Amino acid sequence: MKSAADAKKLLNRSILIKEVIELRFHWRKYHTPYLKTSFKFNVTAFGSSLTIPQQVERIERFSFLPYDGDIDLKNPDVVFSLYEDYNDFPNQGLPVPDAPIRLFWGPFVAESSRALIQQYDLKKRGYLGTTSMDAELSLIMSNVALARPGSLVLDPFVGTGSFLVTSSHFGAYTIGSDIDGRQIRGKGNGKSIESNAKQYSLEDRILGTVVCDIAHHPWRDCELWDAIVCDPPYGVRAGAKKIAVNPKAPPKTSIYNRDGGYKLPQCVPYELDDVMADLISFAAKFLVPGGRLVYWLPTLTDSYSPKDVPRHKRLRLLDNCEQSFNKWARRMIIMEKLKADEPDLDLDALLIEIEKGMQTKVALDEKDMKVQGDGLVTLIDNPAHAGFRKGYFKE
Amino acid sequence: MLMCHVKGCATDNFPLRIEDAELEQVEVEFNEDFMRRMINKIEWGAFVQTAFALGVDQLPATVPENIDTEFLQRIHRVAMETKLKEGKMICNGCKHVYPVTDGIPNMLLQETEV
Ligand SMILES: C[S@@+](CC[C@H](N)C(=O)[O-])C[C@H]1O[C@@H](n2cnc3c(N)ncnc32)[C@H](O)[C@@H]1O
Ligand SMILES: [Zn+2]
Repeated sequence: MKSAADAKKLLNRSILIKEVIELRFHWRKYHTPYLKTSFKFNVTAFGSSLTIPQQVERIERFSFLPYDGDIDLKNPDVVFSLYEDYNDFPNQGLPVPDAPIRLFWGPFVAESSRALIQQYDLKKRGYLGTTSMDAELSLIMSNVALARPGSLVLDPFVGTGSFLVTSSHFGAYTIGSDIDGRQIRGKGNGKSIESNAKQYSLEDRILGTVVCDIAHHPWRDCELWDAIVCDPPYGVRAGAKKIAVNPKAPPKTSIYNRDGGYKLPQCVPYELDDVMADLISFAAKFLVPGGRLVYWLPTLTDSYSPKDVPRHKRLRLLDNCEQSFNKWARRMIIMEKLKADEPDLDLDALLIEIEKGMQTKVALDEKDMKVQGDGLVTLIDNPAHAGFRKGYFKE
Repeated sequence: MLMCHVKGCATDNFPLRIEDAELEQVEVEFNEDFMRRMINKIEWGAFVQTAFALGVDQLPATVPENIDTEFLQRIHRVAMETKLKEGKMICNGCKHVYPVTDGIPNMLLQETEV
């Protein structure tokens, strides 16, 4: 980063970074600007915790510094941050070390937007459902989808609208749709997507919602959306479904209820690989050039292979980032639609494998894949997530 | 932006005709760049026709040569801030009725229509 201003700008859109401090290596230099300024210290430990007396003890180690300014805990001219890094040994089954493995010390420069995680914490949200997305992950997804003022974002599996909230927080206009109108409206107790929009004062950006099935949707052909952000139905808690004649249900005598409204259509199970294929084809068609698709792909850890991730000739895979729950995982997939003048991706480009930002190797084989008319590329054999529901419940 | 998607319904399926409309004026943040982009995406004839039928605004039949901020604000008011609260959207092709309640259009088809 070239300047403090750059750091501030970047951190304004960062959820995962905590803060930026300036590292001062030359002791002669670190004195000069701070000889008379008021100051305070912040002490933070990663992978361990420090009691107040321990923190004070750490701060006192710096008493050799020739700083004559006042200590000011409320409005200091400068804050010095001390970081002790204890690594994450407990996560690897090892004890926390007695002493930190690394220390960082320097004047504080900029704070990130981590506080947003608290601001949008689900515990404080009025309307919630069983699959509402955690605030931190929602923020990260809207962030990598490049939600920003003047962009238009769709969540086609909107549920209780977590992604509308976070995308509109970053300035985007948002629209959601779901096959289940009860998800959007709530239970009639005044709690709904609309009430969440009010709670966060985002009514002037969350434009509205539509009840529709992504498999039979009403959007007019047009490159409309700057981003599509969603958590498709996995069928762990509630199975995905789509409208179709259900051979097991008796045919209707009338499509109307007594009050004149429509009866709900019959539905059949919507297999996960079909959901994903429809979503990708939808994105390839309806995103603006350069627009992004960010979604979760659930996988069973034992049977997952990078070949499972559906590709598309008009969508460049930017990242594939696993969140593991041991036996199963979900992968945040980020894709970007090609610009109008870019040629379709060739097989080499399509079959590239990316894992957590690292482009590792060309792992896939052309022979395994089938290319569909619109450019969708999927595995010829069922991808492992096709059997996700069955596999999950077998555990 | 919504059209009829009943299977086989391909003519006269856009724009949907609106009946028994109850409109609501809402406040939406104005973004000039966004509106400028949208004007190219809106099916202008359909938009003008719908706005006129609802008595919202009488817009020029073609998009003006020089689009200024004022004009974009006017379009913003019609396209972004006028919400169909209650009513029906009807397909002129196949007569499917899409009801709108509480500002939420129900675009579900019947199982026999997909
Ligand atoms: C995992 S939930 C999404 C939850 C949402 N992210 C939230 O924050 O509340 C998946 C949603 O997909 C919806 N769904 C299932 N099948 C669908 C379909 N065919 N078309 C559209 N939505 C569907 C379900 O009703 C459910 O609300
Ligand atoms: Zn129709």
